[in-house]
Amino acid sequence: MQNVVTSFIFGLAVIGYATTSNAADRPLIDAHIHYSHDAWEGLPPAKAVALLRKAGLKRAFVSSSSDKGTQLLYKAAPDLIVPVLRPYRRRGELGSWMHDDSIIKHLETRLSTNKYAGIGEFHAYGNDVNTNVLRRVIALAKQYGIFLHSHSDAAVIDGIFKQNPDARVLWAHSGFTDPAEIRAMLKKYKNLWSDLAFRDEHATDGKVDAAWRKLFQDFPDRFMIGTDTFAPERWFYVVEHANWSRGWLKDLPKSLADNIAWRNAITLADWALKNKTVNN
Amino acid sequence: MRRFTQSALAGLIISSVATPLLAANTVTFSESEKATITSHGPWPPKMTPDPSNRVSGNKSAIAFGRELFRSRFLSASRRHSCVTCHKPNRAYTDGLARSTGVSMVDRNTISLANLRLNRWYGWDGGSDNLWAQSIRPILDPREMNATPALIAKRLRNDAPFSRGYQAIFKSSPSVDDAGQIIVNLGKALAAYQETIVTPRTAFDEFRDALAKSDEQETSQYPVAARRGLKIFIGKGKCGLCHLGPNFTNGEFDDAGIPYFKASGGIDKGRFGGIQKLKKSPHTLLGRFNDNPRRASGIATRHVTRSHQSWGQFRVPSLRNVINTAPYMHDGSLPTLTDVVRHYSNLNEERLHLDGRGLLRRLDLTDPEIVDLVAFLETL
Repeated sequence: MQNVVTSFIFGLAVIGYATTSNAADRPLIDAHIHYSHDAWEGLPPAKAVALLRKAGLKRAFVSSSSDKGTQLLYKAAPDLIVPVLRPYRRRGELGSWMHDDSIIKHLETRLSTNKYAGIGEFHAYGNDVNTNVLRRVIALAKQYGIFLHSHSDAAVIDGIFKQNPDARVLWAHSGFTDPAEIRAMLKKYKNLWSDLAFRDEHATDGKVDAAWRKLFQDFPDRFMIGTDTFAPERWFYVVEHANWSRGWLKDLPKSLADNIAWRNAITLADWALKNKTVNN
Repeated sequence: MRRFTQSALAGLIISSVATPLLAANTVTFSESEKATITSHGPWPPKMTPDPSNRVSGNKSAIAFGRELFRSRFLSASRRHSCVTCHKPNRAYTDGLARSTGVSMVDRNTISLANLRLNRWYGWDGGSDNLWAQSIRPILDPREMNATPALIAKRLRNDAPFSRGYQAIFKSSPSVDDAGQIIVNLGKALAAYQETIVTPRTAFDEFRDALAKSDEQETSQYPVAARRGLKIFIGKGKCGLCHLGPNFTNGEFDDAGIPYFKASGGIDKGRFGGIQKLKKSPHTLLGRFNDNPRRASGIATRHVTRSHQSWGQFRVPSLRNVINTAPYMHDGSLPTLTDVVRHYSNLNEERLHLDGRGLLRRLDLTDPEIVDLVAFLETL
């Protein structure tokens, strides 16, 4: 019954949401979308895809708790969805998954069954990177030639590259750290990308902050945008976020803006999905 | 006002009766905790007139505003007044989850007490001053559904209200345009609402006694409330947002309450509030601010939307909170116990704990929940 009510309210939300992006605007790839059970229960795949298209997205990196949401969405729009495998089978595993060895089997099974561009977004801090589960995650990413989407501090990023110097890592939220530390990490690891999800200090009123501008200019191939739909209501922020992103991207040289808007993301996705079939 | 005071006293009496009177007085506070506790006072604080409202503190304006507040003059149908939702005998709320004027709105009615202390008004902070916030429901089609032109015409044809207006604003409604008239009426309403101040409470007596190290007086404060206070400033970290004498930081946060609207769509909360603020002609940056320097508009000039603003709502004052049920922006939690349980069992994955808010799941025990509620009941 609760699901029925949720679906009804979600349906009303879709009808009521009037803001649109201008499809003629700069194309974007959103590298940080979640479609977890409380989202798909209320916002069916067709409507979710319609929202992503309304935002003018070329692609969307999607992960979910459980993975069912990602698969539903990928099936609905394989041209749009870049599937990423989240280790979490349900909400509530965010802080404990790295200590749960049963996650390994879960990941191995999903990876052998479906096509993925990456594993993540997962949350890990400090010495979490040395747990059995994280070690196996890093090995699986290497085995399948896919990236890791890591919501973590710099210590975990260091740990990942220590275990696999050739890993490709998308640093969620750019580690929620300052431009100086991001710069140091990007300089240290050529295969580290940074998403800007849930961050807005790099731009105010359409103007890019000087320190961030320098960072973008010095690492033009590393940044990408993302909304982070961590709660179902935030699906209705995807369009707003896309328009906001277009606003500040206009403050950058076109080539650099296009890199951050979509080119860097598609480079990473194409590398990960190259030669992959639905059943690996 | 008198009935308001009576309600608060009744709440205190109930609270005292519910407390085990013979419980041992074993709750002590460190010097640091005492400093935190005393920061929640003194009460009432000094209230100064609003410089953006030239009739703030004016006795005639207060009386005129009180009449307007209770009159149905301001609703298009003459069937609703401010009192429809802000009932003086219900702590200026209506006891409903979501209020109904012309039709049902999407949010819970906020109590009108202690408003002079606010920086922003409404659940979304869509107004930066009380007179603008007072105009909003008059013009909202779901609430009073009036227009400035209708109110101006009605005022010009109503001799008593017209005389009152002229005496206070030194200008005739037949001369003022509709835009000026609605603002002036908002300022009279604001002058009245500024006088609604919650009375001193058992907590205030305890706080003052603690500041004076008066052990005899502090011992009068219920033990359960003291235990709850300890949780409030300690394990609960409630004071990080509910700070100062008015128990609020005056800003906005995502409390983990869903924000789909029952009527359809999303309640954008603070995100939408800032959008409204930026478009409004009735802000402290505009021509209706009576303070020529407009210095009080600094926050309005600099406030910007952020990703975090999406789905954030006011951190409400906890003063008199026992009398303002139901709770949260949509009135979805019927009792204070429900509110405390919500924070105790907070779904952290609905929030974004990195890079943002202060909220954490509290994991309180049942006795701790009872104690925290006992403390809140003394506010």
